[in-house]
Amino acid sequence: MSTEAPRERRPAPVLAPAASAESGTTSPPETPKKPPAPPLPFLLDFFPLEDAKQTRLSAFFDNLRAGRLTTTRCRKDGRVRWPPRVVCPECHTSELDWVDLPVDGRIYAFSAVLMGAPLGMESEVPFVVGLVEVDGVPFRMFGRIVGTPWDQCHVGQKVRAEPYDLPDGRVFYRFRTVPA
Amino acid sequence: MNLGRGVALVGGATTKFGVRAATWAELAQEAGQALFQAIPALTAADVDSLFVGAAEPERFAFQSHVAPFAAEQLGLAPRRVLQRTELACASGQSAIRSAFASIASGLSDVAVAVGVEKMNLPSMAEANSSMACVMDRAWDGAHGATAPPFFAMVAQRHMLEHGTTEEAFAAVSEKNHKFANSNPNAQFYDKTFDRAKLGRLPLVAPPLRLGDCSSMTDGAAAVVLVAEELVSKYTDVPVRVRGTGQYADFHNLANAGSLTDWVGLEHASREAYRSAGIGPSDVDFAETHDCFTISEIVEYEALGFCPKGEGGQFALDGRSSLGGDVVVNPRGGLLGCGHPLGATGIAQAVEVYDQFARRVPAARQVPDPRWALVHNLSGSANVHSVMIYEGAS
Repeated sequence: MSTEAPRERRPAPVLAPAASAESGTTSPPETPKKPPAPPLPFLLDFFPLEDAKQTRLSAFFDNLRAGRLTTTRCRKDGRVRWPPRVVCPECHTSELDWVDLPVDGRIYAFSAVLMGAPLGMESEVPFVVGLVEVDGVPFRMFGRIVGTPWDQCHVGQKVRAEPYDLPDGRVFYRFRTVPA
Repeated sequence: MNLGRGVALVGGATTKFGVRAATWAELAQEAGQALFQAIPALTAADVDSLFVGAAEPERFAFQSHVAPFAAEQLGLAPRRVLQRTELACASGQSAIRSAFASIASGLSDVAVAVGVEKMNLPSMAEANSSMACVMDRAWDGAHGATAPPFFAMVAQRHMLEHGTTEEAFAAVSEKNHKFANSNPNAQFYDKTFDRAKLGRLPLVAPPLRLGDCSSMTDGAAAVVLVAEELVSKYTDVPVRVRGTGQYADFHNLANAGSLTDWVGLEHASREAYRSAGIGPSDVDFAETHDCFTISEIVEYEALGFCPKGEGGQFALDGRSSLGGDVVVNPRGGLLGCGHPLGATGIAQAVEVYDQFARRVPAARQVPDPRWALVHNLSGSANVHSVMIYEGAS
């Protein structure tokens, strides 16, 4: 949770597909079903701290706000890793560059939370989460999947990453199913 | 691996597991009382070291520094080693491994390993948040990753890759709940679940239903480990620690690799088998980490009890029950007993001791056991901890 005053609300930006990815239209951002709940105490708030006063990875969130899903690549071994880091786990160098991640992928595995949601997520039940095989990177990305009811999702389904705004002005990412 | 000097388990006890009208401190006191009743020769002054398995007392009980807190509840004043071990769902086994290592090295002679967890809170949504922060909270938990959807994905991939069925999941749950009906300390001691009933329970995270998931449970358990030369003071039927292994290969779900090949468990169990000088076919009974039905199925495979992909059929054929190849979870498992995180690994060791000491009801007594294996996973099956015990011959 930011210690700063909440940022002004703006419409969520749309992620531009990476240069190598196919172009296509993206569905409009999802509107929240219910009005946002009051902010949670810091130790019950799941979302990362984004401000440069609190994290060395604030560029990730700045990039996301500007419509880019990014992570870090080690300048020494050339490997792209997730989540972004400040030190390479292999080379232990801090010479890392921000690179764009492809935004298109396919569902590798998914489920839905029908019971037992954490505090602050109860009003979103049922929601779909899954592991997505993102084109061209050596890892899968876990995330919320929106756009299709859970009982109509399937392994192999096409999804695209998108940013979305949190009620207090922070930004995060999720996946949206792409119509076949 | 050099296992150091000999270490034996000389007894243990658990509290009643369930939704308990009792605080963390009260559960710890109950476990201490049960321990001293179970081992009449044990005195508080004998105990030089205490290891406290507790996963999230800060979140579930708003209590930190729980090692001395627990010592006071049990009436102990440790003078060699006092520490808490935290490894999420494997915090209990972590306490036992630490006690074992401390005695094997000569630092401790008589150690208690106690595990305590209080999980049922007035706000269960808050308790669910605590479970979700076991994951990489900022990058996985924030999307809503808790244990049920993760293990549901394992189940989905196992069904897709190996043709495993929901009936196989129900077979595991039915077996463990049936064993729990002979364990008065189990959360579901007085509840019966057959496959038809299990199939009608609501979905938690598809394809997993309520009966496929272990519960949020309050409970505590304690065991005593001693150096080999002190065994005769406490028991005629000591249970020796013969092998152990552990492996951790990722944390963020991005780095999980295959969801159905638990390579970490293959590594941990092979190390444990090697150190004990046995193989999977020697194991008479196993207390494995059935946090979900699919977990037990994948564990049969990774522990080497059956070939990869055949875990579901192994359960359906009754090969993991009494009269089968290896009796898995005779205590009732996490599914039948409940899963108070820090207490689970200790309660499994209590079952190992009581099985070898012939102290369990006939309905779950393994005939003439010699070798037992205990397994705990933690988090998203990213850490695996294994111990192998040999009963007195």
